This record gives sequence, structure tokens and C-alpha cells, in this order.
Amino acid sequence: MVMSEDKKIIQEFTSGEYKEGFVTDVEQEFIPKGLNEEIVRMISARKEEPQWLLEFRLDALRKWQNMPQPDWAHLDMPEIDFQDIIYFAAPKKDKDRPKEIDPKLAETFDKLGIPLKERDVLAGVVAVDAVFDSVSVTTTFRKTLAEKGIIFCSFSEAVKEHPDLVRKYLASVVPASDNYFAALNSAVFSDGSFCYIPKGVRCPMELSSYFRINAKGTGQFERTLIVADEDSYVSYMEGCTAPMRDEQQLHAAVVEIIVEKGADVKYSTVQNWYPGDAEGKGGILNLVTKRGICKGDGSHLSWTQVETGSAITWKYPSTILKGDYSSSEFYSVAVTNNHQQADTGTKMVHLGRGTKSRIVSKGISAGVSQNSYRGLVRMGKNAQNARNFSQCDSLLIGSRCGAHTFPVIQSQNPTATVEHEATTSKISEDQLFYCNQRGIGPEDAVGLIVNGYAREVLSRLPMEFAVEAQKLLQVSLEGSVG
Amino acid sequence: MGHGHYIAPPKGQYQVQAGEVLNLQFVVLPGESRDIDVSVDLLGPGAEAHLKGLYLCKADEKVNFRIVMHHCAPGCKSTQLFNGIAGGEAQVSFHGTIVVAPEAQQTEAYQENHNIVLTPEAKVTTQPQLEIYADDVKCSHGATVGQLNEDELFYMRSRGIPESEAKTLQMLSFLSPVVPEGREEEIEQAIRTL
Repeated sequence: MVMSEDKKIIQEFTSGEYKEGFVTDVEQEFIPKGLNEEIVRMISARKEEPQWLLEFRLDALRKWQNMPQPDWAHLDMPEIDFQDIIYFAAPKKDKDRPKEIDPKLAETFDKLGIPLKERDVLAGVVAVDAVFDSVSVTTTFRKTLAEKGIIFCSFSEAVKEHPDLVRKYLASVVPASDNYFAALNSAVFSDGSFCYIPKGVRCPMELSSYFRINAKGTGQFERTLIVADEDSYVSYMEGCTAPMRDEQQLHAAVVEIIVEKGADVKYSTVQNWYPGDAEGKGGILNLVTKRGICKGDGSHLSWTQVETGSAITWKYPSTILKGDYSSSEFYSVAVTNNHQQADTGTKMVHLGRGTKSRIVSKGISAGVSQNSYRGLVRMGKNAQNARNFSQCDSLLIGSRCGAHTFPVIQSQNPTATVEHEATTSKISEDQLFYCNQRGIGPEDAVGLIVNGYAREVLSRLPMEFAVEAQKLLQVSLEGSVG
Repeated sequence: MGHGHYIAPPKGQYQVQAGEVLNLQFVVLPGESRDIDVSVDLLGPGAEAHLKGLYLCKADEKVNFRIVMHHCAPGCKSTQLFNGIAGGEAQVSFHGTIVVAPEAQQTEAYQENHNIVLTPEAKVTTQPQLEIYADDVKCSHGATVGQLNEDELFYMRSRGIPESEAKTLQMLSFLSPVVPEGREEEIEQAIRTL
């Protein structure tokens, strides 16, 4: 009897690994597979885009076609057949009720715990932009925000309603030719969020984007543009999930953040794309370019990320510190289990005087996964008295995983100070024994130790995310001990 | 093998067997550009390697270090400490990698690289890397790039030590952990030429 009880618990554990792995059965429309000029024109036409944006896409496509796929990352990347992907998939809208959200979609986001109906949300805590495959389904709290002059809408709407702003800032931080995946995104990006905070406005609530891949054989290519005008403040959160599938799916996003003089932007991500099964089958290829620029004096940009999902993660949120006395932070926890691979880190490019940056990266590898930190800290010629501190720690669970650190430090200024330190260790027998002795099981003990290890980063997350992130850490590491 | 302290050749591949200890000392003084490319394989259980490096660069000198420390067997230990000063329009790069193979459990590997940049034209690039495929390891690396401490300088000057002398003392103390025995005077003279 005891045995069968045990087995049941184990089964529940293993089957409950990725609870966001369901598929929503909604009618969807697709465009044909493949990538060429015609497809790009088709996407642009479907979204009724202006001529300049179509030209931007076509230009990016031509650049992409002439670029080789990068292979410098410490990743065993499967070959991606870019002609075998559907670049646009949208849930069909019920024509009778065009203003309403499809109940099935609402249900999906409900299951994921994303509040779409405003009344369900605690009095104005979070405004959500929910993106389902290639289109934004709904954006909540737009009116409340509009009263303050804040623009928060889907990217497609922004192109129609605020073309001047979009045109001014699009690709100003991540140009189309920046890298292979950014070029791909620039050519085929479907939807995403646009956010503009006017001068001197403090955004009263957390803004949030939620990305969901649902359709089979598709990729998601979202584009997010955040502009914080002088002396404004915004906290922006991003979350993502996808169904469990045997084949791998591509996610190549671009995020651009512009921080003007004296403004403060906090960008948080909890990335929980489907990581593939225990044998490494399926999962999302998460190939993302995120970059912000502290354009004006005294501006501040903070990145916080919790990376637990994706079969492959290739992501380096970066900051260009252009304004004098601007500052930036990067806090990251990256967990890999089973066959997951992560190559993630940050770039801090110090250009202005007295600029400061701080990097805290915590990698956790279990199973047969590979987890790398890759970072760059560059002190430019004019970065007088600039300062950087980096700390990259790795925690190994099990003897078959790998943890790697590849930092690059470049200094061209004698008054700049750069410090980097990294450690690699495993959960010690003593720590586990201490917990076991006090009646805490091995799984819980590991969860406890890992949460303590990642605390410095988790404590930086907005409240809404912190709880979710802690649970995620525990779930991602299930079955990694014993 | 039991090498004593000596100035290692710029290119070298060292294989350290079980129970052996390798000591390497690198010194690059002003007046030369150097490419140093060294790899060490710790092949047997309990093998140890200790590397120390010192470099002083001025004018348009280019000094490049490329160090690979490969832990292939269990229970090996390695330490690396490289301290250097770049003045003039010198360009210094340090590229150090520690690789710990899956079978190299109970590894202890440490690497440190500290740099002082004296002039706006000098450029320092440092890339300390860890590639670890085993779990029962203690590994750490650290790298810093900075300048001479103003407070220390002020302390000495307020006690009547001239600026240039104070700076020399600061640089000497910064380098002292990596100065080979018996070569203190030579290094001091080299510092004065910077």
C-alpha cells in the first residue's frame, strides 16, 4: 500500500511538470508557411500597415537573407528550417461580437492566472496586454492610463494611432541589422506592446505583457517598444508560456527601451516557455534581443529576469549608458534542468561620465543541462569615474550538468573601475543533511536552498511576480535530486 | 616535475601527472610586446598547478595572455594570479579559461586578474572564463580593472611623501603578491620608468 501511494505521488510530480502545457482549441487563421518577400508583404497588408513600415520590414528581410546564423554561443543549436515556420497565426474573431474577447481565449488566460477582465483585478494593480500567437487579444486599463497621458496598447494599434512616436523610436536601439535574429524579427514581427510614458508622469500601476504561443508549427515574433520621457517612471513585467509539443517552436523577440533624462524604467521578465520533456524533445527556442538606452542624464534602467523555461535560451538584455550619471542594473536567475540549454547574460556599455552598473547573475543547472553566463562590460573613453560590479554565481545539482561563465571586460578609461567575480559550487551534503534532519524532505530542502541562493534577485521582482517566480523555481527543479 | 620559480617561455604546453606540482611565473617588463599562450593539463589525481603573472606596459606595447587550465582528473588544484599595470598607450588583454571535465570531481580552481590603468590612452580587456562540467567543484574567478586609490595617495602625501614616490609605493604593493623572490629591485626600477 505504501509503495503504491509513493508511486502515485511520483507520478503526480512528473506529470505535473509543466502545468501551462495545454492547447486552446480556438479557430485560427494562418498565412502559408515559409519566409520570402511575399510573406512579409502579406503580414504587412493583413495588419494594414503604412508604406514606411513595409519598407522597413523588406529592408530587414534583405539584410537577414545575407547574414549567417551566429554560432558563437555555448549552445548545441538544432538546425532551424526557416521555411517550415508559419509566421502569422491569429485567433479568428467572432464577427457577431467584435468588441468581446473570445470566451475560450479568456478561459486560456484565466487558466494561466492572467486577469483580462478589469473587474477581476484588485483595484488597479496591473494593466495587461495579452498576446496570443501573433496578435494582441486585449489590453486592460487603457482608459485609466490614458487619463494620465500614458499610452499602453498593442504594437499594431500604436502604428495606426501614434505613427510619429513609433517611427521615431522603432529600431533606434536595436537596428534591423543588429544581429541575425533581430533582423528576422524586424522582417516578420507580428505584434507586441507599445508603451509611452509622458514627461514627469509616474505610472500608477504595473504594466504587463503576457505572451502565449498556442498554434502548432508557428513562431512568435513580438516586438516591444517602451519609451519613458523625461522624469517619468514605469515598471513593466513580461510573462510567457506555451503548450507542450514534440517539435520545437521558435520565439524571436525584440525589446527596445528608451529612457530619457531623469526617467526610471524597471523591466521584469518571468520566462516560462515550454522547456521540452525530460528527454529533451520539443520545447521553445527562445532567441531574444533586448536592449535599452539610458539616453538622458541621470536616467535609470533595471532588468530583472527569471528564466526557467525554453529548450534553448539565447538572451542578453543590455543597456547603453549614454547619459551622464545614468545607471543600470541586471538581476538574473536562470534555471536549467533535463536537456535545457541557456546562454544568457548582459552587456553594459558605459559611454557617459559617472555611469554605474551592477550585474548579479545566478545560474542553476540540474539534470544534463548546460547553463552559461555571457557578459560584456565596456568602459568607453569618456566614461570618467564609471563604475561596474558584476557577480555571477553558478549552482550545480547533479554530476552531469555544466555551468560556464564567459565575461568580457574592456576598459579604456583610467578612472573607471570594473569588478567581476564568479563562483561555482554545488549544494553541499551538509546543507541537505541539516534540512533532512529537521524533517524537510530532499525536494523541499533543495527548493529552500535554491530560493535562498536566488533571493537577492527574487527580492527585486515586483510583488505580483515574486510569488510566481518562487513556485516556478521549485517546479523547474522537481525530480533533480535523489 | 617540481618546477621552481622561473620565467616561463611565451608558448608552452604543460602536462602535470598525478601528485606533481607545477609552478609557473610570468614577468613582462616595459620595453617589449609579448603574446603569451600557455595551456596546462592536470592529468592525474592530486596534480597541482600554480601560475603567477606580472606585467608592466607602457608606450604602445601590446601584451596578450592566453591561459587554458584544463582539469582532466579528480582532486586536482589550480591557482592563478595575474596582476598588471598599463600606462602610455599600451594594450593589454588577458584571456584565461578554466575547463573542468566531467570526471574531474573534487576540483579546486581559482583565477584572479587585476589591472590598473594609468592613462586615458591605455586599454585593458580581460576575459576570465569558466567551463565546468562536473558538480563537486570549488571554482571561482575574479577580475578587476581600476586605478590607484586616491585616499591612499592622499594619506601618504599628507605625511610628506612626494606624489611620484607615493605612486611607486602603491604600485609596488599592488604587484607584491606576484613579484618573484629576489627580483624586487628590478621590478621597482621598472615601475619608476612607467
